[in-house]
Amino acid sequence: MTIVDWQAVLHRRSFLEGDALVRARTLLDPDGVQVLCGPFDRIESPWLEPQGIVPQSDDGVVIARGTIDGHPVVVASIEQGFQGGGTGEVSGAKISQALRLACADTRNGRATAAVLLLETGGVRLQEANLGLNAVAEICSAVLELRSGAPVIGVVAGEVGCFGGMSIAAGLCTRLIVTPQARIGLNGPAVIEQEAGVDEFDSSDRALIWAVDGGERRTQAGLADTLVPDDSDQLRAAVSAAVAAGVPAADDLRSRRPDALAARIATARPQPPAPVDVTATNDSRGRIWLASLAHAAPTEVAPSVLRADDPDVTFLAVVPDPSSPFHRARHGEVGLTEAWALAVAIDDVVRADAEIDAKRAIVAVVDLPSQAYGRIEETAGLHQAIAVTVDAYHRARTSGHPIVAVVVGAALSGGFLAHGLQAQQILALDDPGVQIHAMHESAAARITQRTVDELERLAKTILPLSFDVRDWAQLGMCDGLLTVSDADHPTAADVAVVHDAIHEAIAAARIGPRDLSNRLDSPGAVRNRKASRTIRSTMAEQWTS
Amino acid sequence: MRTLTFHFAASQAPATQVHVGVVASGDLEVLLDTPDGTPEVAEVRVRTSVDGFDTVWRETLERFFAHTPLGGRWQLNDFGATPAVVTLRLRQTAEAATEGRS
Repeated sequence: MTIVDWQAVLHRRSFLEGDALVRARTLLDPDGVQVLCGPFDRIESPWLEPQGIVPQSDDGVVIARGTIDGHPVVVASIEQGFQGGGTGEVSGAKISQALRLACADTRNGRATAAVLLLETGGVRLQEANLGLNAVAEICSAVLELRSGAPVIGVVAGEVGCFGGMSIAAGLCTRLIVTPQARIGLNGPAVIEQEAGVDEFDSSDRALIWAVDGGERRTQAGLADTLVPDDSDQLRAAVSAAVAAGVPAADDLRSRRPDALAARIATARPQPPAPVDVTATNDSRGRIWLASLAHAAPTEVAPSVLRADDPDVTFLAVVPDPSSPFHRARHGEVGLTEAWALAVAIDDVVRADAEIDAKRAIVAVVDLPSQAYGRIEETAGLHQAIAVTVDAYHRARTSGHPIVAVVVGAALSGGFLAHGLQAQQILALDDPGVQIHAMHESAAARITQRTVDELERLAKTILPLSFDVRDWAQLGMCDGLLTVSDADHPTAADVAVVHDAIHEAIAAARIGPRDLSNRLDSPGAVRNRKASRTIRSTMAEQWTS
Repeated sequence: MRTLTFHFAASQAPATQVHVGVVASGDLEVLLDTPDGTPEVAEVRVRTSVDGFDTVWRETLERFFAHTPLGGRWQLNDFGATPAVVTLRLRQTAEAATEGRS
């Protein structure tokens, strides 16, 4: 029989009931807390008010600098009450800039850890493409810092940690959760909406916590420490994780494709039901990969193709109608695809380890999305994609130029896995090219609008637009390429894209090895002013 | 979304900037900044997610500032708070802004 210490229970201070600032202060030593880009700096999201949504003065993220038991730390605390903790342009820029400044201090000899309080539904769909990009930049910044100082993720509860930000959770040095916490790439309601109630009954709370819950994630090795919702215990767990410092690379979850393979092996997918085999051989990813590479494509997995020219490796995710994972048969990034991409990238990095002129990696992107499925979430698709993101980042920082060329759809988690970690991103100027955080009808449902309303707003709110020409103005497009036939490219089309890829590779070789060039691009100067304000304001406040 | 601006007579200035609350469902965020010029005015700017409650806002604020003539620049970012919650947040702000004074 367990004896309950009722006095301890009665005196417990809840962590998750506090707002973002209270939670940050709970973790930090009481003296010398500095809030950066706070409410009175009034750097709001510029995209909400034009949509009739009331903004918050700090855009729902508190950045607080201080110490935890004497160790220099910056805390990024997401306010779950504001827009479901969704990552927008400003809130995302605040997190990535805080991580970058901590990284700069760490490189200058003052190791500064980061603590991310990840209470978030993922990308804020009202700022769609800028939110998606913000998540990619956060992931890159987590990985930059993580090699020099620990990045501790905390998921306490209420909202959970879903969407793109769950990938950032999968990249953390250590992850601390409560039993109330949930972590998953696709939330239960999104899966039900995309795949039906048979795939995931989002009203079944027991099922949700059995898949995404903090206890389950800890048992499965997808989180490190399970603590009750108690401020003192959470603080102790965070302090211990910060004090433990930087572990060996093998001890990092996102550096273990082998552990991912083992989890996939136990995922026990349903035997494949008969599926239509149409629309497989004319996948744009398959066609463009075969056209661009001189070498014949080989299968890393049936759904992941690789082609190795002397100085370039091309990678594409393609449909596999006989995949045992029935939610990943149409070219989505599922467990197998995330693993296969990581393995292929690791292989390229290993082969060139001793060579100075490292081969380029070109991601040929045509992805309907990530796989929306219960099996995927149970095995931890967020962690699988974190493994892929880590592999791309490792290749990029070790000197491989990474270029993405979007030839078809590039949606949400799929694009985060395969494409958004590239230094240079090219896209075909074609109506079949769609780059977005979520497809139109789902985005409309989740933001409680009709598709017509969404389309009307998208005409004036740039990051909401589904038109690739609008996306290209956001400052992350390095070339919009005109072709005559994106489905069946002519020799001239292939030549145009081929030349653009080689120019992009040359630019990537001399450019920065992180994603900082995006915020300096002409598009960002025009359309990401708020992100740039965050960068300069936070840097000023950080040194003072 | 609706933006409203009000001015109320005040006799006191805040000792410090104050921020309370969250733009969360049924709640609001209040920012109180020290006055630009005259402390005899409370300048209140409201952004609310709910349309059609201009009169309720006026009356709620009038009642508060009649009791608490605290000047300065007030910004209220509201996400559907009831008048009771609005008053609670305003009182919380005023308390923090005048703390330490007798």
